[in-house]
Amino acid sequence: MSEKNRKKVDIENIVFTTLNTIYLIFLCVVMVYPMVNTLAVSFNDPLDTVRGGIYIWPRKFTLYNYYVVFNMDSIYKAFYISVTKTIVIVITNLFFTSMLAYTISRKEYIFRRFITVVFVLTMYFNAGLIPNYLLIKNLGMINTFRVYWIPHIVSAFNLIVMRTYIRTIPESLIESAKIDGAREFRIYWQIVLPLIIPCLATIALFVAVGSWNSWFDTFLYNSGKQELSTLQYELQKLLASTMTAGTRGAPAGVTEAGRAGTGSSNVTTPQSLRAAITIFTAVPILLVYPFLQRYFIHGLAIGSVKE
Amino acid sequence: MKKFVSLLLVMLLVLTMAACQPASKDTTQGNETTTPTKGATDENKGGNEQKTGLPVLSPDNPVTISVWTTTNSSAPADDNKLTKLLKERLGVTINYEIIPTDNADQKIGVLLAGGEYADLMGTTDLNIRLITGGALIPLDDYLTEDKANLLFEHVRPYWNRLATDAGDGEKHIYVLPNYNRFYGEIVGGTHYGASGFWIQKHVLEDAGYPNVDNMTLERYFELIENYARKYPTIDGMPTIGFEILCAPGREWVLTNPPQYIAGHPNNGGVIVDENNVASIFADKDIAKRYYKYLNQMNAKGLVDKESFTQTNDQYLSKLATGRVLGMYDQRWAFGQAYDALVAEGKYERTWVSTMPVYEGCTPYYADREVMNINQGYGISVSCKNPDVVVSFLNTMMSEEWQKIFNWGIEGEDYLVDENGRYYRTPEMREQQKDLVWRSKNRLEALYDNMPKYQGTYSDGNADGPGNQPEEFFESLSDYDKNFLTSYGKKTWRDFLNQPPDNPVYYPCWNIHLPDGSEAQMASQQLTDISIQYLPKIIMADPSEFENLWAQYVNEIKKVNIKAYEDAINAGIQERIMNWGGGR
Amino acid sequence: MTTQPLAQPKKKKTVWHTIAAQKELIIMSVPLLLYKILFSYVPVVGWTMAFQNYKPAVRSFWKQEWVGFDNFVKLFVGLNGERFLRDLRNTLGQSFLTIVLGYIGSISLALLLNEVKNIKFKKVVQNITYMPHFLSWVIVAGLVSTMLAIPTSGGIINDVLIRLGLIKEPIMFLSEPKYFWWIVACSNLWKEMGWNTIIYLAAMTAIDPTLYEAAVIDGANRYQKMWHITLPGIKSTIVVLLIMNVGHILEAGFEIQYFLGNGLVVEMAEIIDIFVLRYGIQMGNYSLATAAGIFKTVVSIILISMANFIAGRLGEEKLV
Repeated sequence: MSEKNRKKVDIENIVFTTLNTIYLIFLCVVMVYPMVNTLAVSFNDPLDTVRGGIYIWPRKFTLYNYYVVFNMDSIYKAFYISVTKTIVIVITNLFFTSMLAYTISRKEYIFRRFITVVFVLTMYFNAGLIPNYLLIKNLGMINTFRVYWIPHIVSAFNLIVMRTYIRTIPESLIESAKIDGAREFRIYWQIVLPLIIPCLATIALFVAVGSWNSWFDTFLYNSGKQELSTLQYELQKLLASTMTAGTRGAPAGVTEAGRAGTGSSNVTTPQSLRAAITIFTAVPILLVYPFLQRYFIHGLAIGSVKE
Repeated sequence: MKKFVSLLLVMLLVLTMAACQPASKDTTQGNETTTPTKGATDENKGGNEQKTGLPVLSPDNPVTISVWTTTNSSAPADDNKLTKLLKERLGVTINYEIIPTDNADQKIGVLLAGGEYADLMGTTDLNIRLITGGALIPLDDYLTEDKANLLFEHVRPYWNRLATDAGDGEKHIYVLPNYNRFYGEIVGGTHYGASGFWIQKHVLEDAGYPNVDNMTLERYFELIENYARKYPTIDGMPTIGFEILCAPGREWVLTNPPQYIAGHPNNGGVIVDENNVASIFADKDIAKRYYKYLNQMNAKGLVDKESFTQTNDQYLSKLATGRVLGMYDQRWAFGQAYDALVAEGKYERTWVSTMPVYEGCTPYYADREVMNINQGYGISVSCKNPDVVVSFLNTMMSEEWQKIFNWGIEGEDYLVDENGRYYRTPEMREQQKDLVWRSKNRLEALYDNMPKYQGTYSDGNADGPGNQPEEFFESLSDYDKNFLTSYGKKTWRDFLNQPPDNPVYYPCWNIHLPDGSEAQMASQQLTDISIQYLPKIIMADPSEFENLWAQYVNEIKKVNIKAYEDAINAGIQERIMNWGGGR
Repeated sequence: MTTQPLAQPKKKKTVWHTIAAQKELIIMSVPLLLYKILFSYVPVVGWTMAFQNYKPAVRSFWKQEWVGFDNFVKLFVGLNGERFLRDLRNTLGQSFLTIVLGYIGSISLALLLNEVKNIKFKKVVQNITYMPHFLSWVIVAGLVSTMLAIPTSGGIINDVLIRLGLIKEPIMFLSEPKYFWWIVACSNLWKEMGWNTIIYLAAMTAIDPTLYEAAVIDGANRYQKMWHITLPGIKSTIVVLLIMNVGHILEAGFEIQYFLGNGLVVEMAEIIDIFVLRYGIQMGNYSLATAAGIFKTVVSIILISMANFIAGRLGEEKLV
């Protein structure tokens, strides 16, 4: 490369890096705004928030919204259940999905296509609320912890993503292991698994977030057992308690809560409580990603192969 | 490959059968438990209670009652004061399963399919699916003078209208009504059910407190227009003359007014003539006049441009800035905005209701509050010991417990003056608003669907603090006191008409249209067409009005209106025939 | 005559041979296959309710009242039919825009992030851009609605446009039908762009770093490397995700249309799922909701088979 060329490349580099940085910073500003706004609303006096105009900073500071959340007796147990269930789902789902993904990534496997079709199709239909409920009921899983994870040990989407990733592993590697006499499970466990760590980290994140945010399974299957209630469902109910019911122009009965007459600092609204709940539930799960990011190292997989 | 597929199919079949087997077993079991309770309850009773009457609840004989209830109230805290009281005095422990109202429909579906229930089922489902689905037992045998005497008194005068056919051709009472069964005199100052065309107090003050009786749409908008011309901005923000809302669940703000203006009460989508025949009004002249008027007011710039695009939150925040001069709504629905203005001391920016009508019509905005039929607690077929549960409900119906639920504990939550009148100190009033305090000191989740003693107790105190006249006056600001005096009125309720006795069939909006019926579909289609066309009609240039209105009427013609009207009329006739009288 | 009977057992034998040889793979996979059949396929028995007037209280799928294709007729014929077709069009349109914008947004973001040399900055950007995913649609819809309002109601977009002198009167974004599809697509982009990037970043980790080194020696510039190494490296992921998304084209979201749709734009706003909510679920009409679900499944499976076939023809990674 000539001196001139190198200079040109340098300038181009600087221009690109600058523009890229500016674009990414702009994107960050746009993307961080909803969360900042939610944070500001959550710390702002609820009745003051009703007036609107809260953007990035609270106008009338209060901790009351969080006070309401933290004073709910049931959330501590529910937090524990949510964490446990998320950990169990992540572990079981990663294990079973990756194992199955390995088998259907084997080109010679006779049932490869059949299994893939069976799983892919499940993404596009849903039997419906009642049939699913009856299945779970007949399996004796109503009001049990099992119902949180057993129906989720393999999911089609994650399976396909993982299979696609596994296929990037050089075939020679697996062939040579076979020649050495390794069995399928050992190949999967000792060779494939370490090579797909970035993919496992991604799927772990997807599964964890999905599990953490879900409340419908609690509502549908376990609403009769308080000890098994999850954080999201408890907060869902708390939020409902600030709403007034009533359709068709007929109040279903205005409770004392709706009758709170004069202005007070100890009143909250759905909008404000929702903001506090969002922050409260998002913070633990937001902490997961930075932890997983360390596994997103370029060429981690292939690098180890070459050695 | 083919073999494998067929093998799989066989397995699938086996699995299917295996999965369905217990389900069919459940059905028979369900039937077995239902039949004995339906007919002869007495044979079923054990020997550990009196021959007549109900088992007495006492701490020596602790019982646990499971409660499934549709409510937006939050669950009590672990150390709830009243939970302890129930345990200490009656030995009753309650296990709650609380279902927020938004999710109730889905839960009822799966519950019925599953066929297992809690002891006490609190339902607000207007489609009475728990009753028709056979989830509840008839309570008739318990509702007698010598058994559940207080519950009997609660339903006695209204027996015929409460008795419901679950599909077997017989009428029984399944659910005890939760709201608006009144005892004694009805008192109260604010009236959260109030419906009306609200107008900002300062508009009236500025106009020199004009007479608001005999209100017409023209006068209502004249007041607003004059004020908006005089004060184009309020607190630096543009004044909004008239606000409309059409967000999901609040569509009635747009569709309900014509019936009121034509002098009819709220019957939902229909008006009922003097021969008790119901017909829809959405495409009639009374509706056309109203929307045409709104269209003209919009042309004058008096209607908020964002009326139809805003969310409920945005609507409330506009109201809360104090720059909205008028809107049609019900008082409870904009409570937050009202409270926000009061919190800032902007009393003059809050609203009072007025009742515009077409000339020659008498306002019928306020109605006698309607008893909630088939909303409240029922006892399920899964309940092992209905006697105990009935006994519990009967005990809760006593004035003593009703006062505990509404007023709280004497000395802690309210005080009694020398005349025996109940009152609260400002601190007591304040703590009632705190969600956390309430979860520790009140049992709203349990009480919401419970039969209530509304009106006045035998000692003359109001059912709850919200309706105690002294409590109301105590909480009035000086501005409001002065405002009321200027109009020679005592309460906000006085701005509305004195409600006449409701017609027997009233109201039509709770006539039950069967699930999946043609009538139900037509009703939804009608609403959808209104939501789609009315905003365009109001926002259009006045020259386009007639054309758009014709399109709208034409579209309504495509709906099977007859099915809807027939179903409503059948309901009205049924009520006229059967609803009179009690037991 | 003699060759045929001979050939068949031989073929069978090879199948069984293969199965025997692959027994480890079978042990690892078939139990999970049966598991999936139990949890996803067995409940499909419930689809019978599309042909019934289903009442949950009857508590058996076989004892319901059979109505044939009545529920499908209710969906596709008459006033409902007009609406269903309109909603189908809106669903397809909104989905298509959402998918296109979403792909361009998240793939380009992944590529640009991949060029960032400062690891800390890269991590910060990643962590911020995926945050909106954790907000519920209620909140996002509220923010979108406020941002698109007129300036006095907090409408920042109109405010900026007016200040820049691009418009004189504020645009009523939410009352003009023509904007609605774009509002849906852009809201989705805003909420999910960062989140969707994660999967591409993971895919990029599988690219052999020596390829880049070789390219530098060959004198390739930044864009050539992106185009010839990075993109092909994640191409299989892109294609597979695209095929899967094509199958989901009838899932255009739900909440955003529910919260932002209104009478003025309903022509372009209402999607199938909202229709099903109003006329199926809210009315306790499970049969109608199931019929609509079956229709969606049929469309999905047709589309996904086509996409899969086309991908195969183009020599791309196939889903199946």
